[in-house]
Amino acid sequence: MYGILEFFKRNYFSLLFAALEFFSLYFVFRDNYYHQAGYFNSSDAVAGSVYKAYNGITGYFGLAGANEELAAENARLHTELLHADKGSAPPAPGFPAHGGNTYNRYFDYTPAEVLDNSTARPDNFMTLDVGNEDGVREGMGVVSPAGIVGIVVNTSAHFSVVMSILNKNCKVSAMLKKSGAFGTLNWKPGETDIHHALLLQIPMSEQLKPGDTIVTSGYSTIFPKDIMVGVLESYKPVPEQYFYTINVKLSVKFKSIRYVYVIKNLRKEEKTSLEQNTYKEEE
Amino acid sequence: MIVTVVVNIIRILVFILLQVTIIKQLDLGSYLNPFLYVICILALPINMNKGWVMFIAFFVGLIIDMFYNTMGMNAAASVFIAYCRPAVLRIYAPQGGYEPTANPTIQSLGLNWTISYYGTLALLHHLLLFFLEALTFSYFFETLAKAIVSSAATTVLILISLLLMQKNPLK
Repeated sequence: MYGILEFFKRNYFSLLFAALEFFSLYFVFRDNYYHQAGYFNSSDAVAGSVYKAYNGITGYFGLAGANEELAAENARLHTELLHADKGSAPPAPGFPAHGGNTYNRYFDYTPAEVLDNSTARPDNFMTLDVGNEDGVREGMGVVSPAGIVGIVVNTSAHFSVVMSILNKNCKVSAMLKKSGAFGTLNWKPGETDIHHALLLQIPMSEQLKPGDTIVTSGYSTIFPKDIMVGVLESYKPVPEQYFYTINVKLSVKFKSIRYVYVIKNLRKEEKTSLEQNTYKEEE
Repeated sequence: MIVTVVVNIIRILVFILLQVTIIKQLDLGSYLNPFLYVICILALPINMNKGWVMFIAFFVGLIIDMFYNTMGMNAAASVFIAYCRPAVLRIYAPQGGYEPTANPTIQSLGLNWTISYYGTLALLHHLLLFFLEALTFSYFFETLAKAIVSSAATTVLILISLLLMQKNPLK
């Protein structure tokens, strides 16, 4: 007994180090990136409030740019509405079929302000000023007037954390607008900068050329179809596979992002439960 | 004694706020990511109980993680430098050892000592943090370069902060 006490006394510093390091690394290596920041994240009331206060002071900078973007979006939406009333014409390019008379409405948009944002890390996140009480839930998509932004990974009552497209864990289904060939959009720190992401697994049979538009595929329940992702800048074949990897110039300027929308899919549960039941029957 | 405690608590709060508001928002690109907040761990008195230093490092790291959404990475890196601190202090100890009341400041131990001490530990912190963040060795040299560039920037910011704090009449 005395021996054990003596051992602890002599090695307490190393033992304390081992214990605290174990706790820290446990949080790092829990491999679920929803909830990954479960206990410590910026949707926390303290962190959220600090960001909100800071934003209250510095939020006036860059408003001109944000206004311009929102005005352009308004103009586009007015045009779209005009066409929708006449019961004709698809939505304006790069913007989703989200409502109106010609389309069934099953996506809900919640406006939000970006309180905190990072672009310099391998895993980038944003903090938004909307949370549970505004109907925001994990797994919802986030878009800006310019295009796709990220996915909500964590919420509290008044704040939420968004995994931005500039996050190596963020994978989104995207397609070539002209042909519908789809693949996985993924950002690779070290390979792509903050203005580009890779679209993987596009079949080699596709005719590609720079400037082709890339939009969301709508195959997941997260994003509606046809939300702008970016344009094809270059492409190269994957060695020994019949796929191209496309370098996409993202349409959203992540460094200056200010106002976004959180998208709620009103038919998500219906769709996932139907799919799950189908898989169950097949087993 | 009480003055030292209060000064350190204020310093911890001020540098956490500086880190998460100003430095984080600067967004200087992926190579320049200074983590100035390590100063509030490293500037604790030299004779302070090393177990307490480690607890403080852990909680400061967790708070930074909360703001950065890096769950545990900053805590791990901070605890690691708190563990290395006694050894680094031993390596750079002046002849005849430290004065019992010595603080890790330029006034107290000179510019060379300050640069070596803060530089070494900032580099160790940034290396662990950036490799944890990349979670892979496939971008080994990029990550290494980021850690070296960023810890150099951190050290410069620490020196500036120490110089500014010198004028503090409390010291």
